[in-house]
Amino acid sequence: MSSEQLMEMLIICVQGIMTVFAVLIILWIAIIIMHKCATLGQGKEKKQEKPAAAPAPAVAPKAAPTAVEEDDDELIAVLTAAVAASLNTSTYNLRIKSFRRIGQNAPAWNAVSRKEQLENQL
Amino acid sequence: MLIMIAIACVLLYLAIVKKFEPLLLLPIAFGMLIANLPLGGVMHKEYFTAEGINFAEMIAHGGLIDWLYLGVKLGIYPPLIFLGVGAMTDFGPLIANPKSILLGAAAQLGIFIAFIGAMLLGGFFPEQFAQFDINGAASIGIIGGADGPTAIYLTKTLKPELLSMIAIAAYSYMALIPIIQPPIMKLLTTKKERVIVMEQLRPVSKTEKIIFPIVVTLIVALIIPDAVPLVGMLMLGNLMKESGVVSRISNTAQNELMNIITIFLGISVGATADAKTFLTPATLGIVVLGLCAFCLSTAGGVLFGKIMCKLSGGKINPLIGSAGVSAVPMAARVSQVVGQKENLANFLLMHAMGPNVAGVIGSAVAAGVFLSMLAN
Repeated sequence: MSSEQLMEMLIICVQGIMTVFAVLIILWIAIIIMHKCATLGQGKEKKQEKPAAAPAPAVAPKAAPTAVEEDDDELIAVLTAAVAASLNTSTYNLRIKSFRRIGQNAPAWNAVSRKEQLENQL
Repeated sequence: MLIMIAIACVLLYLAIVKKFEPLLLLPIAFGMLIANLPLGGVMHKEYFTAEGINFAEMIAHGGLIDWLYLGVKLGIYPPLIFLGVGAMTDFGPLIANPKSILLGAAAQLGIFIAFIGAMLLGGFFPEQFAQFDINGAASIGIIGGADGPTAIYLTKTLKPELLSMIAIAAYSYMALIPIIQPPIMKLLTTKKERVIVMEQLRPVSKTEKIIFPIVVTLIVALIIPDAVPLVGMLMLGNLMKESGVVSRISNTAQNELMNIITIFLGISVGATADAKTFLTPATLGIVVLGLCAFCLSTAGGVLFGKIMCKLSGGKINPLIGSAGVSAVPMAARVSQVVGQKENLANFLLMHAMGPNVAGVIGSAVAAGVFLSMLAN
């Protein structure tokens, strides 16, 4: 291989690696800026939404009342869906008023079995 | 010819019994089988020369596989597959933890190291044995990206003769990820690093998920226009999924279109494998170098993960670095499985999806770099 070819190869390599990193770093910065902009907008929305929480008929409160944080929206959706599925009803008939996290108190064998089930899905 | 039929049967066996990427390996192997039947002549490679495509001959004598191969030759199938991949991919974990994008970049190192390796190999061996020119070396290197459509897209432009070997090598190694990666990951990390539990990812808003594909397309188009067919289609698919307003199209891209293209791509790539090009020492070189590219990419990701672990004060588990090779979602699953072996309560899957999807963008960008420098 001639030294000319070697140089060409090295140039392509260095330029390639640098370009890949440069593009992805720019994307990184873009994501951060995007997040900043999105949270700015959301912060305003949340303040406006707060007083508009309407009460509805409760069906299945899970346990002792605790404060529901705004970040728990997803969890509440999952809880509602799970309760709806087990009661064989629509999610529209339910409203989760409160929930309480309980510690891991399942017997070890149950925990292992659950883990295995999860792993089989992966 | 008999040897080629035997190889096709072995690949069929691997696809059907061992379930190695059966979705692609099966049509590839079958394409290989029918192209090598003694009286077959279903594929006419002579119509596709370096000067161009002989359409007059194709219309007069061409058959189904010749026409299907046009989609490969003209670079139509890989971007369409990317459209489907985009419609199936959730970039949420990447947006939630943008740092992990660097791991996706680091895991492309193998591409460039294998590229050098393939070039140097020519210096050590006699000319008839594994002599790769610069275009061939780039095509081999891209195997390290662990991204089948990208590898095919690059090779069909730079070195069409190697197409079948590179496609088969790329898809075989992607299927072997659960075997190839764990030893490298364990070798390069300490037990203490492997048990690191990462913080839960923040929820990502819909707005961010919708803006992301548009921003990525704009940035990539401005820097590497050659990567736009791949990245652009990937992001279009993702935008269709995230916007939620075209769920019918998004479903078609994910399912029917993707399946149709997979059949066409597999069978026509397989049909290009004839004894004259396949049974050469070059194939052996591609297999070995491809494996090296793959291992080095994994190592690059894990080592960069270690650096990020140190810099973040032990908040990042370096195992997610290996997911920077872009085989989605297999590489992320491997990170999860290896991590969970050390710590049962550790769930790395979502954290590993970040570098994983970044790797798809990274390898498409790497292919774009090669194309912009070598295609003309």
